[in-house]
Amino acid sequence: MTTTLEHKAPVIKHEGGGLARHQNFLTGLIGGVAGAFIAWAISHHLLAQDVRTTSDAVAVLTGCGWIVGFWFGIGALNAPFAWLIGKDQTRKDQLYYAGEDQGTKRYWKYCTDHKVVGVQYIVMTMVLLGAGGILAMAIRTELIVPGNHFVDQQVYNGFIAVHGMLMILALIVAVAGPWGNFVVPIMCGAKDMAFPRLNALSLWTLVGAAGLLLTTLAVGSLTMGWVVLAPITDQAAVGMDFFALAILVFTVSTTVAGVNTICTVFTMRTKGMTLERLPIMVWGAIIAAALGLYAFPYFSLVEALQILDRTFSTSFFIGNGGGTGWLQANLFWLMGHPEVYVILIPAVAALFEIAAVMARKPVFSYRTAVAGMVGLAGLSILVWAHHMFTTGWAPTLGGPFMVTTELISIPTGLFFLVLIGTLWRGNIWMKLPTVWMFGFIANFIIAGITGIYLSDIPIDNQLHGTMFVTAHFHYVFVGSVLFGAIAALAFWYPKVTGRFLDEKLGRISFWLAFIGVQVTFLSMFISGLRGMPRRYASYSFIFEHTNFLTTIGAYMIMAGMLVLMAAVIYCWNHGEPSGSNPWHANSLEWLVSTPPPLENFDVLPVITEDPYNFEKEMVLS
Amino acid sequence: MTNSNENKKSLKSFYWLWAILTVLGVAASLYAPGYLMPKSMSQSMHLSILTMVVFSVAAAPVAAGVYAAALYILRNWTHKGDTVPAAGPAFRESGKVVITWTLTSILLTVFLLIWGLGALAADGAGSTSNPLVVKVVGQQWVWSFEYQGANGTTIMSNDLYVPKGREVLFHVTSLDVTHGFWLPQMGIQVDANNDTTTDLRVTPNKLGTFDVRCTQFCGLNHAFMVTQGHVLTPSAFTTWLNAQPARS
Amino acid sequence: MNHTKAIGIALASVLLGGGALALAGYSLASATPHQTAQKCVPNPTQAGHCTLTISSYPDSLAGEHGTTGGAHPDWVSYMNQDLSVPANTVIDVVVNQYDGGEKLNNIFFDQVMGTVGNVATYDGVTMSKVSPDHVAHTFTLRGYPGIDGQSGKRLFVNVPLPANEGDNAVKIGSGEYPKPLVVKFSFKTGSKGVYQWNCEYPCGSSRVGQFGFAMSSYGYMSGTLTVE
Repeated sequence: MTTTLEHKAPVIKHEGGGLARHQNFLTGLIGGVAGAFIAWAISHHLLAQDVRTTSDAVAVLTGCGWIVGFWFGIGALNAPFAWLIGKDQTRKDQLYYAGEDQGTKRYWKYCTDHKVVGVQYIVMTMVLLGAGGILAMAIRTELIVPGNHFVDQQVYNGFIAVHGMLMILALIVAVAGPWGNFVVPIMCGAKDMAFPRLNALSLWTLVGAAGLLLTTLAVGSLTMGWVVLAPITDQAAVGMDFFALAILVFTVSTTVAGVNTICTVFTMRTKGMTLERLPIMVWGAIIAAALGLYAFPYFSLVEALQILDRTFSTSFFIGNGGGTGWLQANLFWLMGHPEVYVILIPAVAALFEIAAVMARKPVFSYRTAVAGMVGLAGLSILVWAHHMFTTGWAPTLGGPFMVTTELISIPTGLFFLVLIGTLWRGNIWMKLPTVWMFGFIANFIIAGITGIYLSDIPIDNQLHGTMFVTAHFHYVFVGSVLFGAIAALAFWYPKVTGRFLDEKLGRISFWLAFIGVQVTFLSMFISGLRGMPRRYASYSFIFEHTNFLTTIGAYMIMAGMLVLMAAVIYCWNHGEPSGSNPWHANSLEWLVSTPPPLENFDVLPVITEDPYNFEKEMVLS
Repeated sequence: MTNSNENKKSLKSFYWLWAILTVLGVAASLYAPGYLMPKSMSQSMHLSILTMVVFSVAAAPVAAGVYAAALYILRNWTHKGDTVPAAGPAFRESGKVVITWTLTSILLTVFLLIWGLGALAADGAGSTSNPLVVKVVGQQWVWSFEYQGANGTTIMSNDLYVPKGREVLFHVTSLDVTHGFWLPQMGIQVDANNDTTTDLRVTPNKLGTFDVRCTQFCGLNHAFMVTQGHVLTPSAFTTWLNAQPARS
Repeated sequence: MNHTKAIGIALASVLLGGGALALAGYSLASATPHQTAQKCVPNPTQAGHCTLTISSYPDSLAGEHGTTGGAHPDWVSYMNQDLSVPANTVIDVVVNQYDGGEKLNNIFFDQVMGTVGNVATYDGVTMSKVSPDHVAHTFTLRGYPGIDGQSGKRLFVNVPLPANEGDNAVKIGSGEYPKPLVVKFSFKTGSKGVYQWNCEYPCGSSRVGQFGFAMSSYGYMSGTLTVE
């Protein structure tokens, strides 16, 4: 069972590619910095110096300079300009852009091969999770004992906001980025995605947005939570403008990716691949993409209005100017609630896939799985104001939003039905993906139930704004989504690298993370129940024991993540070889070689059944 | 068939596990909310704690079922050894299971909704016509309270004093950013918004001190925007009110 | 991979990664400017009393932010912000007020609250409240039993500081100021605790309440008072 790992092949000079032959991440950075500097210099000199809004306007223009310069430098704009002047891409150009024969260099470039984009998303997810995780450690260190002065409260307030945004970004792409790109097109029987250049654009735009977000830390940061409620944003330093721009840029990335995914699945499925023969993972990808296309424009809108308020002194969200902070809150949560399901659904779909393969049985009630995901996405559009029960905005709407929010427990419950039904009476292969999946099941039930508490207004009147809420959504994001994302990583890692993610290291990491999650967030629930509000830089002594436990648990989770990172890096080149179908699964990505050929299939396969018949092992003929 | 007898027999241990975990969950649900949450000083808080108990008791069999199923699966159906596991039984559908599950979850949700809407109505009902009116002003990072004194004067205080047994109507506003006016022992909160007034009603039913905490992030010293409240007997409250200097 | 190797890699990654994080955290903590708290001076003639002298300036040139006034020389500032006083003592506070002022935005703060006798002396005149029309700053101290991990005595002290209308006559640091308006008041501390104080007459940026810039940055108009 030998595999030649293509990415170690010597680089052969080819024609094609044009300017892109000289462009990569480094030229992108240079372009971005140059663009930012030029924009700063021009705006700094042209705008009146003594006006309050000038520094905000300069910041926004500098950020725009960064992203446009970055796009130029990385090569994102080459093809559109070539098209404008009548020079279409030749086949050789397309193959160059797809990274043919470029070895590892192609991972640093604007590469249109969906498999390369998938690996780049793995790296971005780890970078964002890592940066957010470092901030989490700083936050918990500040809160380890009451009255700690590790950092002062201004720095601390900045940390919690940027931690939140980085982690949200990381989780939006955690499953849909790597696996929505690497695996989903192959699962459909396609040679690449519908719009390969847009695929590269979505990744590199995320990199640009991340750059803007990380800059906020250096320029006064974001000191009002990632939810950036108005009107306190009016008091924010210049970091707020970089944040708002980062969101506008990120929405470009996610919109482009969503459109790409949906078009690929609906127009590029191979012959015989009916919608019901698709692996369930693909359904998760398109449902999440569709929901994201609905939700993220609200985020762009609200941040654009925040920028207008800050740079042009408009009053969309300023009470004494005729606007209201409630408008900001509504627009934000119209995005914010569907967005958590954009994060959750790909992870759940990946787990359905893993459950079927590891239990050696079909997905239980495939149609219920699809209906559950569609129902969840649809209902999520109607629940946003449960984040606003205590704002005093619309007391009469409390009842209706309570109804819609509690109804969400029904499609969520169906997820448990499908998972447990798939595993029931199976022949369960206890490998790393399975282990993390069981961790998901244990954590997600706690996440779901505590959400139901908060959806009930008499309880929310007590628990809103307390650490109970923080513990609830950390059970969702860390306990459930992150565990699902790691399960997906362990599952598809052999397809990307040809090697297993080491079982022993993976188990050490799992137990550290799993026990860490319980210690951290169960004690955090108790802090909240006892009366500790959230976003507090310091707290009363009655909360000291639970906070101490929470910090110890957080350190455990970090230890688990460090071990996992060591495993991912070490096993990439030194792990146990896996062959191209280590799990003996039947979906198309496992039937191609490892790593898959540049355009996945020499001959497009014809599909006659779904991939859940484990009685026989399929091969590509 | 012997298979289904076998299946029925082995499922008994699953049901036992489910039952035991449910009992543990119900026991925790009855005890934990009242123990952990701040001591109740109003009917609203009592209702809040009671609702936590009811929701926890209702959720206990659901959580117990999921844990029991996961543990049962891990106990009975994991593949042992290093070989590739053979295919499991290929059952793809069971209308009975899906319908039972969905119906149960709908019934449970409807029950929770009826309770929740009922509690919401109970909380909102019973407003008296002569509440004590207190204006709550939030400013970064201090709460101040305004009362009507004798002869149309205004009394201002940093501590919140309320009489026991009389409904208090809070008119809550902010002079700058949005704050969260929360009385943990009373089980109520509402945001203090700039340029708007939001209302909150509660009837304290126990003497003693309580906290006033800010739950909506409001800047540098958000964590220190805390003050103290006191529930006094009506006569002690009147004495206090008359002793305060008039502010305007 | 055998057990020993796995555990070895796991330990190495936790120790190295954790160590790197700890180092980064330590550098961050040391880099954040922490002032040494200004201690109050025990009164040699009156037992159980301690004197604390602070000043309020219209800018940051008086010396605490460096000779050039630091990053924001035009921001109003107190000197010092971090204060340390002993427990169970009467603290006699002397404030040298150098800044001009305007109409107070929230008249709640025009009254002296929480001091001994609920009064303060302004250039020798004892008053329980000032005119809200000419206020520069307030000294508002708060702390609740159990905040910041201590179950010390609950404190709420508010002393409005009237505007100083004098002409510039004194040079302190690299700034020029009028003769100070001297405000004196006393309050009693209980057992150990940490309290926060800040000025409650906002004059910073922002159309919403003017708590931006100096008002919401640590080190200008807000500080910590530690009772130890």
